[in-house]
Amino acid sequence: MSPPTETNADAAETNANSSETKANSSETNADAPGESEGATDAAEYAVELDGITKRFGDVVANDGVDMAVERGTVHALVGENGAGKTTLMSVLYGLYRPDEGEVRIDGDPVRFGSPRDAIDAGVGMIHQHFQLVDPMTVTQNVVLGHEPTASGLVDEASARADIESICSTYGFDVDRYLDTRVEQLGVGVQQRVEIIKSLYRGADVLILDEPTAVLTPNEVTALFDVMNQLTEQGRSLVFITHKLEEALEVADRVTVLRDGAVVGTVEADATTRGELARMMVGRDVLFERRPRETAPGHPALRVSALRVRDDRGLEQVRGVDFTVREGEVFGVAGVEGNGQSELVEAVTGLRAAESGGIEFDGDDIAGLSRRERIETGVAYVPEDRQERGIVGEYDLVRNAALGNQTIEPYADGWFLDWGAIREHADAIIDEYDVQPADSEAEARSLSGGNQQKFIVGRELERAPRLLVASHPTRGVDIGSIEFIHDRLREMRDAGVAVLLVSSKLDEVQLLSDRTAVMFEGEFVDVVDPDDVTEEQLGLMMAGETSGSGGTEAESDTEPGAVETDGEGEP
Amino acid sequence: MSGTAGGARAALDRAADRMVDATAVERFVIAVASTALALAFGAVVVAVSGYDAVEFMSALLYGAVGNLQNVAFTLRQSTMLVLAGVAVAVAFRAGVFNIGVQGQFVVGGFATTLTILFLAPHLPRGTVGGVLLMLFGTVAAVIAGGAYAAVPGVMKAYADANEVITTIMLNFIANGVVFYLIDGSLRPPGTSSPNTPSFPDYVGLPPFAFGSSSFSVIGLGVALLAVAVVYVVVARTGFGYDLVTSGYQESAAAYSGVDPKRMVVATMTFSGMIAGVCGALFAIMILGYYTDPATFPRFGFDAIAVSLLAANNPLGVVPAGLLFGGLDAGGQYIGFTLDVPAELIDGIVGIVVLFVATPELFRIAGRFGGLGGGRE
Amino acid sequence: MSASSSAADYARRNPLTVGGAALLVVVAAAFVVAFDVPLADLLTVGTLQRSLRAAMPIALAAVGGLYAEKSGVFNIGLEGFMIFGALTGAAGAWLASGGDSVGQADLWVGILAAVVVCTLLTVGFAVLTVTFEADQIVAGLAVWFLGLGFGPFTATVIWGGVSSPSLPNVDDVTVPLLADLPVVGELLFDTSPLLWITVLVVVVAWVVLYRTRYGYWVQAAGENPEALDTAGVDVNRVRYAAVVVSGALAGLGGAVLSVGIGSGFTGTGVTMVDGRGWIAIVAYLFGNYNPLGAFGASLLFGAMDMLQIQFQTIGVSLPGSIVGLFPYVAVLVVLTLVGYTRVPAAVGEPYDTEQ
Repeated sequence: MSPPTETNADAAETNANSSETKANSSETNADAPGESEGATDAAEYAVELDGITKRFGDVVANDGVDMAVERGTVHALVGENGAGKTTLMSVLYGLYRPDEGEVRIDGDPVRFGSPRDAIDAGVGMIHQHFQLVDPMTVTQNVVLGHEPTASGLVDEASARADIESICSTYGFDVDRYLDTRVEQLGVGVQQRVEIIKSLYRGADVLILDEPTAVLTPNEVTALFDVMNQLTEQGRSLVFITHKLEEALEVADRVTVLRDGAVVGTVEADATTRGELARMMVGRDVLFERRPRETAPGHPALRVSALRVRDDRGLEQVRGVDFTVREGEVFGVAGVEGNGQSELVEAVTGLRAAESGGIEFDGDDIAGLSRRERIETGVAYVPEDRQERGIVGEYDLVRNAALGNQTIEPYADGWFLDWGAIREHADAIIDEYDVQPADSEAEARSLSGGNQQKFIVGRELERAPRLLVASHPTRGVDIGSIEFIHDRLREMRDAGVAVLLVSSKLDEVQLLSDRTAVMFEGEFVDVVDPDDVTEEQLGLMMAGETSGSGGTEAESDTEPGAVETDGEGEP
Repeated sequence: MSGTAGGARAALDRAADRMVDATAVERFVIAVASTALALAFGAVVVAVSGYDAVEFMSALLYGAVGNLQNVAFTLRQSTMLVLAGVAVAVAFRAGVFNIGVQGQFVVGGFATTLTILFLAPHLPRGTVGGVLLMLFGTVAAVIAGGAYAAVPGVMKAYADANEVITTIMLNFIANGVVFYLIDGSLRPPGTSSPNTPSFPDYVGLPPFAFGSSSFSVIGLGVALLAVAVVYVVVARTGFGYDLVTSGYQESAAAYSGVDPKRMVVATMTFSGMIAGVCGALFAIMILGYYTDPATFPRFGFDAIAVSLLAANNPLGVVPAGLLFGGLDAGGQYIGFTLDVPAELIDGIVGIVVLFVATPELFRIAGRFGGLGGGRE
Repeated sequence: MSASSSAADYARRNPLTVGGAALLVVVAAAFVVAFDVPLADLLTVGTLQRSLRAAMPIALAAVGGLYAEKSGVFNIGLEGFMIFGALTGAAGAWLASGGDSVGQADLWVGILAAVVVCTLLTVGFAVLTVTFEADQIVAGLAVWFLGLGFGPFTATVIWGGVSSPSLPNVDDVTVPLLADLPVVGELLFDTSPLLWITVLVVVVAWVVLYRTRYGYWVQAAGENPEALDTAGVDVNRVRYAAVVVSGALAGLGGAVLSVGIGSGFTGTGVTMVDGRGWIAIVAYLFGNYNPLGAFGASLLFGAMDMLQIQFQTIGVSLPGSIVGLFPYVAVLVVLTLVGYTRVPAAVGEPYDTEQ
């Protein structure tokens, strides 16, 4: 087996690997992970992933990934959204079968056909979305499918005793809630219930998928205590996260994934956040930032003290202020789930704001319906094209009408002018290079990139004055990415205000004139992309305020400042 | 972790999605196969029950189209089924299960009756007065039917009350209240049956070629006109686009500027207005007075089968309505002549619906039989 | 959070619900005053007894329906299965007696036949909805149409008309001594054994649902099938079982209607079931999917059903056609007010293991 350094090594990785080597050599009798030497180290590794490759169509989600989890340790798996972390763990948990490579548990090769096989082999997974039955009690959830019975009825007393013994072994406080319905518990407790459920079923290896994403800081601390208890009792944990400080705090080793491949594996106490941040987001920038030719103009969109709640009533946007000017791309970076979706929905009119102001061209639009906002000139490239952006069963002609039902010339009073819409669809197909170039093709038969180009075309051709683009290149091939980026830049140069939300850091860096980093519903900072390193952005995405960079990049930045930055290539 | 009351709505939406998840050819094949299988099943039941299946089938055919009178009866039933079927199709198309077309039809017809009986003394007698009465009566039916359908629409949109159940309850309530009002207030003194007075004899549609007292080509024309209007609305207007898009994919509709709650109410109202026209035609063309709605044919329910068979396409409702009109006429003929109970036809309608609800059955059958019923 | 503030919070979130409830109280009070209803005469042991009897068919179907829906299948065909049950109950009794005088034993044969026939029919329904992923709403409606058609059809084949001749009902049984207890004795120990069966079904359904592993599985299948699947239980098998139970109980409910309280099968109009299957659905929604709650709600609807007789007894003159609508109006009110009912999250979704 080749060591992890095979991928695209830069200084940081070499550094990481050398520190890893050092750490390894300090261990007694240790081989480098991935260098399988047969059964001799079987006892040492609870889990070994050996050259795992998983493809979905043309997309390689995991590319020859090696990873080994030592018994009784926490092994962190970090990487950006889409780096392949969850896919890799789904392979381990039996949800996917790898196209290549081998999974070994306690040194024995295994082939899991389903999660049940994994559970039987002692692998448990704590999903981001808990596998709990909300209206049932904690006890009932833990024993589900493995209920002890006495004379036909579930023996709750015996179940309770077993759970209490697990709780006392690991110092869990869940025994207080045994008769409480799961839905009445906070997510922190629910998570512990999930962990107990896995332990009750005899899990030796626990995979925790972004377990801290839903927790408050106090709950995170409690979770880390639990994790330490588990490893002290000899269980092995895989901890998926993108929050670097957490990985460093709780993990023994850290494996960094990027674009489906391992960048490196390092000892937690021999690395730094900065190093991990570089490993995680650092890459050859695919596209050069281009000097811009126009200066931003008047403020077009002004958002003040905006607060938005999600469907469950939780506040996801917590007092955000910003201004987007004509001819400017305002980028919002951040790990998904930090309030970006709710922010976009509030601006585009799909979700009512709890409080705060949304002004467009000086008019308050917070009270306008979605349709009224479309008519005012707000275009929206949605993050979920299958759900919102297109109707899969419609052909492209009928999809060209989506959002244009009241826009001339496509609408004529109550009637739709299908002739004009058909011409429009053909124009989009032609202009935006949509393949196949057939306006009567069903939208769902198109590839993701072509669907996205069609949506972008439809929204841009409405001649908007504000364009909200949310993850505009998600799941899109390289060629289409470049095409869509060029169109966004053209819009900007034509004087359109662009609000760009993306979890891809390079995309935000490439297109934005100013970048806000969103974390837990707030903007950590608003920076000038040329004045900040990816390392700093990575830290900010993990919620850490960066002291340097972008100090004057607040909403009242001089237009000239950005222009100068654009001209002076870094 | 999701759930709450939105779950039921989502379930209904998914159900609606699956209904329309079939290609046009597939739908046609399923429709034809469902009907053929259901009729075959009916024949088997007839045979098992000790009747003559061949005689049954030929009598069914004769009852439907055997002579001019039977054709007139078939067309009369078809007229009603086409109108009620379009009312159902509009709602189903938008993913709203309006099972209350029967009640909306009853209320619409009652509104027509009230209007005609109330206005008749105030308008000139004769053709002009008759036409005016029929026009006002129809307008009243449209308003009443729409309003009666809007109630479950509002309950669904703003209180998340399952519209299948509310509309069925409103069917019962419409029957009971209309009966109560006729029996208590409109029955002429000295009569025993719960009938309103008859309409003036200048109110009614001319029979033209068929010479039937309860069928007029004008009635059929009204039904076809309604189909055309619905077709144009669905296919050509922004409202129709909103409606159909809501049925396919509510989130995409919301993205395009549709308010989902208002759309539910608007859809129900639109559907109920068409059901109201059906009621007006029933009162004017068929009855000429009004009576206990419990004795009415269940056009509103058979219309569900008509609409499903037509894959909720307004144009497809015409052939499906003709087919079911023929079945209905044939079934009644059988009831009179062969003493095979006419209710059998209701059962056959149920089987058609059951088959249409399970396209997967035909896909699998097609795959095994190599008939190309599979997709792709 | 204190009770008052949570109540206020609830009112803020559900203005329609709270407003509707208030409106209902006002209307009821106005009704009582306007018609000078002697409330005391209305609430008698006799009332309760009649209500219990009227509640039996609804409660049985409701318990069945809640099992199906708890497991994730919305059995909207309860009404249809009740029609088949009512018909088979009467027909089974008739055929068992050879067409002469129908005896008590024949009635029990009829009830058993109804359960068996409806069980078989629901197996077919389960195949379509669970395995072939038929649209649950449309398939359920189809069952209703089938009942409306084949119920009266079969009646005509057997009796020459859509209704059966008048049949005896299952006799009441008086338990010595216990029947002499005040109130309870009259209600529970001098009554139809079918009431005992109903109560037994309700209690057993409660125990199974909340105290046995099968009950846990039913709940999980409708709420989070993936959680159940990963726990090693076959979701679709659980759903099959629950759907078949729903049909068997709806059939029993139908038979109770025809040979327990209805003196035979009536096939005119929408048949003697007359919406009770739909009411049963609302009963278990109102009862929050709890068999005991569903029984309570059925009792309410049963009482509504009996109001007509009750009003006659106490001399309040209100036309029967209007009083007969009370259950349906109550359903609308309940359905609008219980918007907060927690519908099982996975209802209506077919479950594929491969996902």
